[in-house]
Amino acid sequence: MKIVGVYSIKGGVGKTSTAVNIAYLAAAAGWRTLVWDLDPQGAASYYFRVKPKVKGGGRALLARSQAMDDAIKGTDFERLDLLPADFSYRNMDLLLEDVKHPTKRLGKLLKPLADDYDLVVLDCPPSISLMSENIFRAAHALLVPLIPTTLSARTLAQLGDFLAREQLDDRLRMLPFFSMAEPGKRLQQEVMRQLPDQYQDFLQTIVPKAAEVERMGLRRMPLPAYAPGHAATRAFQDLWRELAAAI
Amino acid sequence: MTSGTAGPRDYLLPDDDDEGAGAVAAIRSRRHCATDSLAREHGRFYDSFDWALYQAGAALEERLADDGHGPRQLLWLDLCGGTGAAGRNAMPGPGQVVTEPPGLLQDLPPGPVRERLAPLVGIRRLLPLVEISAVVETLRLLNDDDKTVARVQVLRQRFRNPDSGVEGQLGTRLRLLPVRGYDQELADAAALIEDELQLRPVERPLVLEALAAAGRRPGAYSSKLDYRLDPDQRADAATRMIHCGLLDTLEANVPGTRANLDTEFLHDLRVATRRIRSALSQIKGVLPDQVVADFKVRFAWLQQVTGPVRDLDVYLLDFPELQERLPVPMRADLEALKTFLLSHYDEEQRRLVAALDSPEFKTLVRDWRVFLDAPLPREPAAPDAARPIKAVADERIWRMFKRVRREGRAITDESPAEDLHELRKSCKKLRYLLEFFQSLYPKSDTRELIKQLKVLLDNLGDFQDLAVQAQHLEETAVQMHREGAASVDTLLSMGALVSTMLSGQARARTEFARIFQGFDEPANEARFKSLFGGGRPRGSRPSNSGAEGLAA
Repeated sequence: MKIVGVYSIKGGVGKTSTAVNIAYLAAAAGWRTLVWDLDPQGAASYYFRVKPKVKGGGRALLARSQAMDDAIKGTDFERLDLLPADFSYRNMDLLLEDVKHPTKRLGKLLKPLADDYDLVVLDCPPSISLMSENIFRAAHALLVPLIPTTLSARTLAQLGDFLAREQLDDRLRMLPFFSMAEPGKRLQQEVMRQLPDQYQDFLQTIVPKAAEVERMGLRRMPLPAYAPGHAATRAFQDLWRELAAAI
Repeated sequence: MTSGTAGPRDYLLPDDDDEGAGAVAAIRSRRHCATDSLAREHGRFYDSFDWALYQAGAALEERLADDGHGPRQLLWLDLCGGTGAAGRNAMPGPGQVVTEPPGLLQDLPPGPVRERLAPLVGIRRLLPLVEISAVVETLRLLNDDDKTVARVQVLRQRFRNPDSGVEGQLGTRLRLLPVRGYDQELADAAALIEDELQLRPVERPLVLEALAAAGRRPGAYSSKLDYRLDPDQRADAATRMIHCGLLDTLEANVPGTRANLDTEFLHDLRVATRRIRSALSQIKGVLPDQVVADFKVRFAWLQQVTGPVRDLDVYLLDFPELQERLPVPMRADLEALKTFLLSHYDEEQRRLVAALDSPEFKTLVRDWRVFLDAPLPREPAAPDAARPIKAVADERIWRMFKRVRREGRAITDESPAEDLHELRKSCKKLRYLLEFFQSLYPKSDTRELIKQLKVLLDNLGDFQDLAVQAQHLEETAVQMHREGAASVDTLLSMGALVSTMLSGQARARTEFARIFQGFDEPANEARFKSLFGGGRPRGSRPSNSGAEGLAA
């Protein structure tokens, strides 16, 4: 079972749509896939038409492994399940402080699912926190969407520094890629030309900014399910292929 | 029912709705649902030749989605057995995406399906037994959020036997599939199908229906001996039955041996040959002398021509273990041995195939079958042919037991290796006799005796096999040296291996006395005596010949 975190320090960079679409494509390719919507806003749960509610909330999930099993919902798509968000996830750091080995809890929770799933995609809340440290320790790879701006370059450097400082970078592969790109913009072109050279695992796929992607909220399903031929769908397919090869 | 354990449930469609249109329309009229576009799926069910998965209550499906263009998946299925819904449906277990069809375990990438397969199939090849192609119509049952809460599929399927080419239609199934976390909705859907539509659950899982349609008989092959003999049966009739079973096993393994699908085909073929030879020589006075003499020679030939490939197989199978016996720095030096063995493999396999295609082999099998199928002679010449098989079996086993005991007791620490070899041969004969005739005796008794005999055989086997292997390895080293196929380091590593073998042999020798004592216990003798030793000594037994009638 491979664990992939879709993570960004910044919000609004296409993180949830990446998690949902990648998970959908993985399931379509035969991988038994679980999306864990860790973002208390519950956007991924919304896309899959599942209520963002877990019985007993985050506290129950941390306490009993059975709670996790009970909370998982099948989506509309074969082989693709969801562990929904819960509003209580916003206090996850506080809850984590109360458990033993607070930075390794998430990995421990996922272990019993190894027989059920080939891939777990974590839709992570933005920010660096106890929660994100859990994710860094549990995941095999971090998919990091970046809008091609200089500010994004800075946050990526911050993330890289953090992983190196915590000595997480030798087993966790950081896989940045450009998201919501507008190649017509000169400034973005500059960033897209220069930034990838500075990172060993920078993925080649560029996911364009597209109104069709934003319509996921209206259609309430993954993009490839309703717009299979769209350029953004093709980009996500490329991204999935790159990710699958990397893990 | 918990969310994690609910599996699909299959229902039969009535004859007047064999396309499922009526059922689909009925569900649509009663439930909020959506229809997916028709999908085509191709699947293949696999098992090993000896039905390792079926025997363990499992099945393996290779599924190609999207009309063969989608990903290739291996799906584990539990055939739970039992009654009710559990026995009729296969429960899906783990799945694994692969790029190639399954074959030998060693070629399968790591994953959850491989993990389940490993302890069951071992070195046997997974063979495609039946193919299924299905047109799948999927109906998704929705809740108020238009979220899928259960699926109903109509599966119109055809099967094909990939070996015989036989194909045809299977009964159309309606399948209810759970969506994880929606148990109540699943129960509602089941109630709709069972109570309102009045559909009957299927009798058995799809895999078993398809195998039967394709003419496969799950569990039909086993290399184990399993005869049901009647104690009063004429000895010649029972003996022919035993031989028929052995010949069936031998013949069943010929195609797999020719194609070298896996090493067990040849192994089973050779075991069957050895058992035939043993039955010929050990069930004495039952078949005509000249028949026994003729076929003993011919089956000995078969044993001999099948030997070289088996020797190579054993080497190659044991290779990792042989390597591990060496100190780490020497292990790489042994690789040249493997290369050498592999370079001779094709040639030996070609010779083996030529032998199996030869007139000698074909006439051997045919002649033996003709003899076994011929009507029993009314007045057989062989002295014990018309006696009840139980009496003959008692005698043979009891005599062989006494021989094993006598030979074993005669062995001292000073005895030459040949004496232990002789004892091993006698033990093997005793074991085969016990196995041939086990249905004539209480099962628990013979099983216990065979188990105990096995301990002794293992010890004697270690002693002899290690000696033979060491000698064989020395000869191979000489041959490799002659052909310039071995460096000094390789020869040294082989020498080191020979020395571990010889010290293993010495160890087996020191353990012999203790192990034989276990066999030679009074309790064991009592068990043999009570089971087999009740008969009269051979000289005074009544005979089936006219002499008995005259005496009376």
